[in-house]
Amino acid sequence: MNPIGFRTLLAKETRRFLKVPGQTIGQPVITTSLYFLVFGFALGGRLRELDGIPYVRFIVPGLIMLAVIQNAFLNTASSLFVMKIQGTIVDLLVAPLSVGEMLGAFVLAAMGRGCLVGAVVWLVAAAFTGVEVAHPLWALAFSLLVAATFAALGLVVAIASDKFEQLNIVPTFVLTPLTFLGGVFYSARTLPPAWAAVTRANPILYMVEGLRYGIVGAAGSPPEIGLAITIGFLALAVGGAWWMLKSGYKLRG
Amino acid sequence: MSVVAAVETVALRKRYPKVEALRGVSLRIEPGEIFALLGPNGAGKTTWISVVCGLVRPTDGSAAVMGHDVVREAMAARRLVGLVPQEVVFDPFFTPREALRFQMGYFGVRPDGARIDEVLAAVGLSDKADTNARELSGGMKRRLLIAKALVHRPKVVFLDEPTAGVDVELRRDLWAYVRRVRAEGATIVLTTHYLEEAEQLADRVAVIDRGALIALDRPATLLARHGEKRIRVELGSPLEALPPPLAARGATVDASRRVLECPFPAHGVSDLLCDLAALQGVVDLRTEQPSLEQVFLALTGGEKR
Ligand SMILES: Nc1ncnc2c1ncn2[C@@H]1O[C@H](COP(=O)(O)OP(=O)(O)OP(=O)(O)O)[C@@H](O)[C@H]1O
Ligand SMILES: [Mg+2]
Repeated sequence: MNPIGFRTLLAKETRRFLKVPGQTIGQPVITTSLYFLVFGFALGGRLRELDGIPYVRFIVPGLIMLAVIQNAFLNTASSLFVMKIQGTIVDLLVAPLSVGEMLGAFVLAAMGRGCLVGAVVWLVAAAFTGVEVAHPLWALAFSLLVAATFAALGLVVAIASDKFEQLNIVPTFVLTPLTFLGGVFYSARTLPPAWAAVTRANPILYMVEGLRYGIVGAAGSPPEIGLAITIGFLALAVGGAWWMLKSGYKLRG
Repeated sequence: MSVVAAVETVALRKRYPKVEALRGVSLRIEPGEIFALLGPNGAGKTTWISVVCGLVRPTDGSAAVMGHDVVREAMAARRLVGLVPQEVVFDPFFTPREALRFQMGYFGVRPDGARIDEVLAAVGLSDKADTNARELSGGMKRRLLIAKALVHRPKVVFLDEPTAGVDVELRRDLWAYVRRVRAEGATIVLTTHYLEEAEQLADRVAVIDRGALIALDRPATLLARHGEKRIRVELGSPLEALPPPLAARGATVDASRRVLECPFPAHGVSDLLCDLAALQGVVDLRTEQPSLEQVFLALTGGEKR
């Protein structure tokens, strides 16, 4: 057991994103504010309600989820990938850090970033819609679990990637489309049946719906289903990252 | 032996898809030694160190640090180790002081400002302690690597070409510092292509070639066994033909035919001097001490690949 090592890595990974607040916090605040203004107000004026929820309130959980997913993923993915490319990963590989300590520190730091940015987005949104949260515990649970899931996924992708292009495949071709098609801006019920079915096959939908239940109090699917799906994916991602770190896959020659 | 080895590898093998980098290296390094690993490029030195430090998984055989197997008891083994990697790596996000604080922490040592200042001073980086690592020069980055390898007071320090590309001053400082770290009780394993460095610093040297250990001894013993003291004679004009008595002694002339070299006789030099008297127009005469360089070239088949 190396609690000092664990705390050090956690602190280092946290300082890494706190050192560039413009990039890690400022940028998501700007983009979500823009989403909010354009979709929430410009378009929301015509589209007053979805699933019985005022449109401006409907999109808040999706925007938070977007920020949580992107930031949690990006923190582990970019940090570990850059370490691999720079060679500074050697510092960690020779140190007496167990798989659990390394994984825990990376994932917790990324959860910190995801949830911090998510909270900032929520605060920005609250300025437009008010601060009330229907089920705070559900909201918190979804934020934390989703952040952990994508943080672990970020590790998996960073370890598996040899080039920057490969690192970008997952966020560009998987995360962004799935998040946008995951009911951030629309409800699956408003789609034609075929598209609704496609949307329902998207796991991120259930995460967004789960957070929507937590914040707004109503959603298109029950939060328990979202919770089960999220925990399932969390287990997969953590399991994958664990195996990679344990076996030394692409890290130890 | 009752004393546990600082580092011990037994029949250590590492096979890469295209090459077998280590072909069964058995090596035992005693506590408190300064040990030099020599060998041509691609011999397997870095691979051996990497296996011992847990960066590379062995294909076969075993490696242990202070009796802790590097695979089965990886955490215990790693706690004892400090490594200066061959490649200069640095994190441009952080300053040397921050990098050292993290490094101590990773090794489970509570970060200690006084120790960090001490190590920074030892490698001559005190005035750069709070400068971003990307603003350091190449040699300064290497100094930082050395500081990082030592800051947590490892029991066994691996220095993989620590003096490659560093100025004379740092090289001298570093030698002194390595001796001091050893005096404080650590074991030092270093690789170098400056054979003079190994000769001056190391208690024992191992020569590795193509993944196999080909020599292991004290520098003085290696010199005595494989090195050869020679006598070198410079002539004013080219030599027509090598006098037979000198040829019989194994003397050689170089391409210019103005420089003649002859092995130094083991028992007295008087007879050789008589034979040399046959030469006309001797301009200079001197003896050449055997060097590790000579031994190295003899052992590895001449070329420094
Ligand atoms: N990651 C790797 N994958 C495949 N082959 C490798 C790898 N690392 C080293 N090798 C090969 O293993 C052999 C030994 O390399 P190693 O780096 O241990 O040599 P070295 O003695 O440290 O050489 P140098 O003096 O150049 O540093 C070389 O043939 C090299 O090409
Ligand atoms: Mg090497």
